[in-house]
Amino acid sequence: MEHLLDVSTLEPCEPLELTLSATRELPTGDYLKVVHRREPHPLFPLLEKSGFSWLCRPGGEAGFEIFIWHRGDRTAEGDVVHRALC
Amino acid sequence: MLNTAHLSLEQAPPISIPFRFFLTAPLFGAAAGVVLIWAGDAAMVSRWSPIVLALTHLITLGFLTMVMCGAMMQMLPVLAGSPVPGAGPVGTLSHLALSLGTGALVHAFIQGSAGWMKLAVLLLGVGFGIFAVAVGLALARVKLSSPTVTGMRWALVSLVITVVLGALVSVGLFGVVSLNNLAAYTDLHLGWGLLGWMGILLIGVSYQVVPMFQVTPEYPKLMQERLTPSLLFGLVGWFLFETGVIRGYWSPLVPGCWMLLVTAGYPWFAGTTLRIQRLRKRQVSDVTLRFWRVGLIGILSGYLVWLIGRVFPDAATAPRYPLLLGILLFLGGVFPLVNGMLYKIVPFLSWFHLQNRQLALGAFHVKLPHMKGFIADREAKLQFHLYLAALFLALAALFWPVFFTRPAGAFLVLTNLMLGYNLLRAVMRYRGTKALLNPLDSH
Repeated sequence: MEHLLDVSTLEPCEPLELTLSATRELPTGDYLKVVHRREPHPLFPLLEKSGFSWLCRPGGEAGFEIFIWHRGDRTAEGDVVHRALC
Repeated sequence: MLNTAHLSLEQAPPISIPFRFFLTAPLFGAAAGVVLIWAGDAAMVSRWSPIVLALTHLITLGFLTMVMCGAMMQMLPVLAGSPVPGAGPVGTLSHLALSLGTGALVHAFIQGSAGWMKLAVLLLGVGFGIFAVAVGLALARVKLSSPTVTGMRWALVSLVITVVLGALVSVGLFGVVSLNNLAAYTDLHLGWGLLGWMGILLIGVSYQVVPMFQVTPEYPKLMQERLTPSLLFGLVGWFLFETGVIRGYWSPLVPGCWMLLVTAGYPWFAGTTLRIQRLRKRQVSDVTLRFWRVGLIGILSGYLVWLIGRVFPDAATAPRYPLLLGILLFLGGVFPLVNGMLYKIVPFLSWFHLQNRQLALGAFHVKLPHMKGFIADREAKLQFHLYLAALFLALAALFWPVFFTRPAGAFLVLTNLMLGYNLLRAVMRYRGTKALLNPLDSH
């Protein structure tokens, strides 16, 4: 299941704070889709450190979409690949 | 697109490195205010007076370059994925040499001492040499360039040229070497420092930090790709034309006309930044935006005054004309841009380092301060108003030096002390939270 978070109009560090906070409540099997106006470089090492996998692609109205799921969660990873990228 | 594959906070220098540069800068800014109070109206006589030379370098080297060097060392790994080799010792040595060198230079100007000038040239040469080699290596290693990285590269080239010209002028000024046409070389030194090192770096970094921190649309692609290389090309051309004038090959009109073309890039940048700021989705005004508006208007005003001087050369021969340009461009232009950005960079770095540490330690019981929790908005606004007072009093002092020079100095001291206090509080907040995250660290 997809959880949508739009941070495209927020100032730093609100997008990072909200994204990290949303990942803490992300159930296994689901993924988080973050809509962002920029590629959030500082977010990626923080996600990796917290045990998440991520995929960032340009697209959408805001500019970038970031998909985040628990590392090793095959269901969520499959959903990201099939539903979000196909 | 930036290189995300190598992005890591572990690559960045310890936070104490940029912080020591940022915390030292307001001390030099306050020192400039003290010199202004001490000198009084004697500071408003001519750009060639030792007091004005000392003041200019306290602001440009002690404040502006101090912050810009610290920020560059921190930004390279985060924005370009390329750490500065030996960032710890390089940061420590270049900070020490820049601080002591600026102090020695100011002392040399005020005392008219050739010995102190030689020491200043040595210290600044060593400091900038270490900085340029280390940062140059990091810039050469960037795998995927961006308009910001390009801007940093050309800014560093400009810094090296500025320092070499500065050393040449300093030793010429004190008769250590004989230099024909010292004024023209001084103009070249000033031009490369202001338009190259400061101008190109600010433009390149703005491509990243303005859309990121001020939530604006991106700068136009044409500007991002062409402006900083064109400015460097323009400055190289100016250098060649100017040396041709010194050697008597052609008239000063040649570099004059050339610079009319080159300098148009700066109002283009300032006007574009004001335009994209107006297009922000969330029109919330904060203190950084106020500083930036003043700075951009300062650049546009300075450009206009410079143009008037080109069209009416008689106006430009007035002794206070270059002082007006200097106040508008340095105190009214670059200073508020750097000051305003400090209020974003310091809280962001503090928050980001703490966030990283919290994740590493799993210490989620500690609530991290928000970015706005590091520097209180009320105190930052007070510092902005003190700065505005200093700027307007300095402009008024050009016309009524006896009445306004010392008050301008007093407000320059106050605004810098307030800035230092605000930054110090942010650092203390960072340290306090870091100790909570890992109590063993605090012992």
